Amino acid sequence: MQTIFSIGVDALAYGMVLFVISIGLSVTMGLMRVVNLAHGAFAMIGGYIASYAARDLGLAYALAVLLAVAGTILIAIPIERFLYRRIYGQPELTQVLMTIGITFCVIGIANYVFGPTLKTIPTPDALREPVSLGFRTVSAHRLFVIGCGAAVALGLWYFIERTAFGVKLRAAVDNAAMAAALGVRTEIVYAVSFAVAVGLAAFGGVVGAELLPIEPYYALRYMVTFLVVVSVGGAGSIPGALAACLLLGAIDTTGRYLMPEFGEFFFYLAVIAIVWLFPRGLAGRAK
Amino acid sequence: MKKLAFAALAAALMGGVAHADTIKVGVIGPFSGPFALQGKNFKAGIDAYMALNGNTVGDDTVEIIYRDVPTADPAQSKALSQELVVKEGVQYLAGFYFTPDAMAATPLLEQANVPMIVMNAATSAIVTKSPYVVRTSFTTWQTSTPIAKVAFDGGAKKIISVVSDYGPGIDAEAAFKAGFEKAGGEVVEAIRMPLQTNDFSPIMQRIKDSGADGVFAFLPSGPTTLGFVKAFNENGLKDAGIKFFAPGDLTQESDLPALGEAALGLTTTFHYAVSHDSPENKKFVEAAGKAIGNPAELSFPAVGAYDGMHVIYKMIEATGGEQDAAKAVEAVKGLAWESPRGPVSIDPETRHITQNIYLREVAKAADGTYYNKEIQTFEKQGDPGLEAAK
Amino acid sequence: MALTTNSGAASLTGGRLTRDAIGVLAILAVAVLGYFLFPNNLALLTRITAIALLVLSLDLVTGYCGVATLGHAALFGAGAYGAGIAAAHFGITDPIAMLAAGILAGALAGLVSGAVVLRAHGLPQLVLSIAIIHLAHEAANKASGWTGGSDGLAGITPDALLGHWQFDLWGRTAYVFGIVLLVLAFVILRQIVRSPFGMLCRGIRQDPVRVRAMGGSVHGTLVKMYAISGAVAGAGGALNAISTQVVGLDSLSFTLSAEALVMLVLGGTGSLYGALIGTAAFMWFEDVVSAANPFHWLTIVGALLIAVVLFAPKGLYGSLAAVFERRGRKAP
Repeated sequence: MQTIFSIGVDALAYGMVLFVISIGLSVTMGLMRVVNLAHGAFAMIGGYIASYAARDLGLAYALAVLLAVAGTILIAIPIERFLYRRIYGQPELTQVLMTIGITFCVIGIANYVFGPTLKTIPTPDALREPVSLGFRTVSAHRLFVIGCGAAVALGLWYFIERTAFGVKLRAAVDNAAMAAALGVRTEIVYAVSFAVAVGLAAFGGVVGAELLPIEPYYALRYMVTFLVVVSVGGAGSIPGALAACLLLGAIDTTGRYLMPEFGEFFFYLAVIAIVWLFPRGLAGRAK
Repeated sequence: MKKLAFAALAAALMGGVAHADTIKVGVIGPFSGPFALQGKNFKAGIDAYMALNGNTVGDDTVEIIYRDVPTADPAQSKALSQELVVKEGVQYLAGFYFTPDAMAATPLLEQANVPMIVMNAATSAIVTKSPYVVRTSFTTWQTSTPIAKVAFDGGAKKIISVVSDYGPGIDAEAAFKAGFEKAGGEVVEAIRMPLQTNDFSPIMQRIKDSGADGVFAFLPSGPTTLGFVKAFNENGLKDAGIKFFAPGDLTQESDLPALGEAALGLTTTFHYAVSHDSPENKKFVEAAGKAIGNPAELSFPAVGAYDGMHVIYKMIEATGGEQDAAKAVEAVKGLAWESPRGPVSIDPETRHITQNIYLREVAKAADGTYYNKEIQTFEKQGDPGLEAAK
Repeated sequence: MALTTNSGAASLTGGRLTRDAIGVLAILAVAVLGYFLFPNNLALLTRITAIALLVLSLDLVTGYCGVATLGHAALFGAGAYGAGIAAAHFGITDPIAMLAAGILAGALAGLVSGAVVLRAHGLPQLVLSIAIIHLAHEAANKASGWTGGSDGLAGITPDALLGHWQFDLWGRTAYVFGIVLLVLAFVILRQIVRSPFGMLCRGIRQDPVRVRAMGGSVHGTLVKMYAISGAVAGAGGALNAISTQVVGLDSLSFTLSAEALVMLVLGGTGSLYGALIGTAAFMWFEDVVSAANPFHWLTIVGALLIAVVLFAPKGLYGSLAAVFERRGRKAP
């Protein structure tokens, strides 16, 4: 029994890390219809900025997180203006080519500027303490990530479903021409959504760095994981993404506990089974 | 200097005319992609050797040509080796970080009349694929066997083995099991986990449940190591007194700044620590640190490359710059020298390097950095992997 | 030929045949040119040929049928391991027989992955293909007794081709063998894509609902095309196994799948020429920049991809064809 609880906690924590890191991608892919393979690259940029701020400049963790989010958005603005704007509404394969190109460039530059070694983001002491749950201990950082995941999910849901901007965004997604005719400045809507997505990527990159450490190849190494999680959930759906992350996190964690040597099989067979049952993703809407 | 003069003289006598040639050495390694750091170390080791010993042997100038194979990709490795031999006219092939990349190029050697100097790839069998292969790095068997004795002598009787599920991981598991059971201990469970594992908590749960009093681990150096060691601490295994043993890949120096506090006290066995205390190593670290730019990035592939260059220089000396693979390899059989890692020699039978294996512990230096502190030496270790394969 | 006096339909076929002949001649011309210009780079050229077969096969399902896949290397790898295992474990070392084994294994892999991938559309489809390539990779890693696992499958020593030509250090035999294979594949594929079956595939890409309404079997057609595609990719894999004599797990990797897709989009989807041009351009460029700077070439490749999207959005071949068409129209 104790083991089951213990695995449950691990599964929840892992699922939430996946969620925090990939939710930004769900926004770009589902709402903006851009297959953004460079998502990991933005998460990585965030990680590097936070690492530089916290480790080399000695700033506080919270400040480093803020700097990372703001800095990554700042870097992303020209990229959005000059590159992404050219591929909105283009065929998916063109988007793949462009975003892979961006990823390669970011990897190359990170390797050149920061070198190929792992970079850590020192966490405050409070997050490093193990916390006792009665039947086992878990690191405070994991609890912090679970909290972050919940906060991001709620905030984003509110932002899209309940604010005036969310209405405009959904209108622009459903029918850009009609929304523009009704006075929605779609360009600005897209730019802001992109900034939100990039900010979330950076935030996820920093918060998840304990599990997915920052190094130049980060952008490609975890690209598949992000893509799988978001698509299984149904791109653009926050509850879908959350459900997918928790489900896949649970399957992955349990699989690796029961039969570690077949861990990879568990994960991908589960992916096939889920897509087989829900060909549009867990919360996918008909087109 | 005397040696060089002798070599030049020998070349003049043998070749009749000693005309200055450029001798090309083709180096294949991962210079971009996820293992770029290891490739960078190759280059640092080579640059360091040439900075200290000059770029000429006798009248001949040595030129290095680098080719990139970012991940294990035998087809690419073979195509590039072929290109280096046929198009660039290299007399020596060197480098090779991954086993399959080295394996793929071995069938070329005889026809091309080119020796191969393996500077990293650590599977025992490579040297048996061609008589022209010489290895200056280590094998996973070589570095994983002594730790079994250390574990047993340290009082651990039941061990759980946890390795990454690929060639070197399986080698490490077999080597440790053989050594530990011979000493009288018991490996209660052997877990192989996929290379792509991000969250190690479930594995830690398995270790806890197994009731072992120690764990033997092998993971390729890089990001997964960090996750593994952190999970080991965070899940309370360290506090529960479970002992941790591993070959030194796990605590390679370039990962230590990231591992930091978490790695403190980990014991590993390996053939080289950057902190090794000898004048040779001091010279090497200074030169290689300069070559790599950031001395904190220096780790074991650099010393494999450095000694590889030593072997190549000796080969050039022996052949007087003529292309003669058989003679070159013959000349370094039994060659012994003082490497930055300690005394080493090339075993004439296997053409693999015989060297000391050190037991090390991760310690904190006065300036706050972490390093592998050597605490015990296992002298003149050969490769037990070849024996085991028979 | 007396085609001019024939009916319109026949002259149309004739025109196409001429175009095919031009295509074959172009491939041969490039191949001969490559042989004489880069006599010391034949290994690379052979590798390009093998990958070209993979990209052609990817074009069949992506360009002609509209199936998005990031797992196509599964078919290539099946061919490579099929040929490799036949040689290393069953003593089938005749290159032609190895090729047949590779084609068969590739077609089988095509059937299986087709059946799985075609279940979904769009992104979920992409994810299914990713799952397949990872499962295949893991399975090959696990079955190390057969595949050599991560150390690679060694011990493949193909006999002389047709009993005459040895596969040697310079790789001349392998190169000629590869080019012949590529030309054959090209000719056969040209016939297939323009047959009623090929037209049906295009129809499905544009509007599957309408095809179904007309009584066409969407799923059956696509699975068939997947098997054909598998045979072509398998031939590429077998060529790779024969020419390098080693098969590694990289031939079943996500990376290779993704690279193949990039090459295809780079050249232009939906055209066999696009696939060939994309492969040759990408691999040649990669070889040149990675030899020039083995440490930082990835940035330059990335910049190239971005530039192509910005300045040649239809891919190299597509954009080139569009330019010519515009010129042709302007000319009086």
